[in-house]
Amino acid sequence: MTWLTWRQYRLQAAIGGAFLAALAALLLVTGLGVAAQWHSALAACGASGTCGSLSGTLSLGNHAVGFLVVMTLGVPAVLGMLLGAPLVAYEAESSARVFAWTQGVTRRRWLAVKAGWVLLAAAVTGGVVSALVTWWEGPNNALLGDAFSSSRFELMGVVPVGYAVFAVALGIAAGTLVRRVVPAIGITLVGFVAVRLVVDLWVRPHFMSAVTHLYALTSTWAPGGSAWQLASGVVTPSGTRLAMVDGTDIAPNVSSSWVPQACGGGAVGGRGSQSAVLSCMQSAGYRQFITYQPGNRYWPFQWIELGIFVALAAALIAVTFAVINRRDA
Amino acid sequence: MNAGMDGNPRADGPAGFGRPEASRENTAIETAALTKRYRRATALTDCTVIVPQGRISALVGPNGAGKSTLLRLLTGLASPTSGSALVLGGTPRQDPGFLADIGYLAQDVPLYRRLSADDHIRAGGYLNQRWDAAAARVRLRELAIPLDRAVGTLSGGQRAQVGLSLALAKRPRLLLLDEPVAALDPLARRHFLSTLTTATADAEDGLTVVLSSRLIADLERVCDHLILLAESRVQLCGDIDELLAEHTVLVGPRKDTTALERTHTVVLSTKTARQTTLVIRRGAPLIDPAYQAEDISLEELVLAYMGAAAPAAYAHLSTVGDEQ
Repeated sequence: MTWLTWRQYRLQAAIGGAFLAALAALLLVTGLGVAAQWHSALAACGASGTCGSLSGTLSLGNHAVGFLVVMTLGVPAVLGMLLGAPLVAYEAESSARVFAWTQGVTRRRWLAVKAGWVLLAAAVTGGVVSALVTWWEGPNNALLGDAFSSSRFELMGVVPVGYAVFAVALGIAAGTLVRRVVPAIGITLVGFVAVRLVVDLWVRPHFMSAVTHLYALTSTWAPGGSAWQLASGVVTPSGTRLAMVDGTDIAPNVSSSWVPQACGGGAVGGRGSQSAVLSCMQSAGYRQFITYQPGNRYWPFQWIELGIFVALAAALIAVTFAVINRRDA
Repeated sequence: MNAGMDGNPRADGPAGFGRPEASRENTAIETAALTKRYRRATALTDCTVIVPQGRISALVGPNGAGKSTLLRLLTGLASPTSGSALVLGGTPRQDPGFLADIGYLAQDVPLYRRLSADDHIRAGGYLNQRWDAAAARVRLRELAIPLDRAVGTLSGGQRAQVGLSLALAKRPRLLLLDEPVAALDPLARRHFLSTLTTATADAEDGLTVVLSSRLIADLERVCDHLILLAESRVQLCGDIDELLAEHTVLVGPRKDTTALERTHTVVLSTKTARQTTLVIRRGAPLIDPAYQAEDISLEELVLAYMGAAAPAAYAHLSTVGDEQ
């Protein structure tokens, strides 16, 4: 079964390997450039004492390569569509699986070996791409401290492995259920994007309960390290959280429409009165807040997200086994 | 779908089933009331057949009679809605031991189109514990079929030969072939059937073969057992020689057949203005001397039962006792 799997996928393996090698070469060469740029910038700012403002002035790397690096977010979906979706669907469509299913191996074993190798290939591909990207982005992470933010969290670390495994498992399951390659590819793409969005927007912020820091209206504060900031604004004495939506503000985080009657209401005007209004609100119990996930939770979050996607993949593979075993060929 | 079956003289059960000589032999296939319903149609109804070991059985019936469904149920590729099947002593199942004993070639010759015959032979070696790669290569070389070309580029006849060689390379105990000659030209058909007969003769321990076809003429020379399906039901099942011996064609004056039907079973009666032709299954050796008795050919027998099963479809060939 391993030989047949290899025979069927060796072309894809060669093409995939070539792409991976090209990506590796590009990222290694440009990544060394980025690292050199970063180290000389550090040396320069250290000499001039301007390292604090470095993140505002320094732009690391080439934009085209940076764009390509962001595009690696799509690698799992491509793997799911090209490796996962046809795995069962192509053989069902061409009825070739009847040949495989009437040899001396059970369907269970047929699926286990085929899906096993392809999932492993997906995991390795996802891992290699992620390792390259993580290394390439190292200086940027150090510079910007935003590795925990949504779009960059998904690009690096171990989660791309989980995405790749999940996408391929989704492709296999979709192909098994619909038994047509093209619809299976469509379902894989839509399903993958949908699940990723749901986890990104509504699930990941709650992996662990977020930390909320309250601080005076007149002061400024930011969580240390590369924390993931989820929300910020003003909390009223009754506990209602207000977040900035419009531009009319009396302080970076405070809207004039929130000013209570006791402190002058909405009719606050003139820059001179702003600090008075703020101290009035401060003594009335108004505070600024920032809700965030501390930077030291980055790796726990990576592993939790990996675990979620691997578990989803396992569930999809279990469904595939059940369907393959029960349904007529 | 089965309207018209009521009152059928053979509705009491398929011929040949339960005969002592059949059950004494080792059976390769034994099904009981095997039924397969799909969402829209019933493909197979109450199919009860016995195929003794070592036979070459012709599974004959018109399009949509349920031949492919029966074969798929026997391989375990499909599972029955009700009823049961015993194949080589066990229920068709996902088990390497069972799968190893079954050679199956579906009608559309399922192969990996982009892989070559040699790739398939090698794959088979990895997928089967018992695998005769050398014999498959020799057979295909003898037929001058290229081993290294993608099978998708071969002709239908060549593909069928590749499929048969792969099925035989498993050294199965039961070979199920679904319309293997339907797509072949007469010469390829002859090649195919001679490959099959040679292979069955070579197989030492009683290879049983079931091969389906729409036409008995394709299979007459190689088969010694018959399963006739029509309208999703078994119409006939048994040893071909015995079936032929039991049936007689009577040609005689046009007259009432009620008396005749007391001792014999009329399968089909064809009446013209002057005479009646009857196909009967004899219940007793004695036959009304008013009729001239003739031996029946296998083709006549098959057509008679097909005609009786679907009177409407065969109206141009016969009328079935509708004047009684």
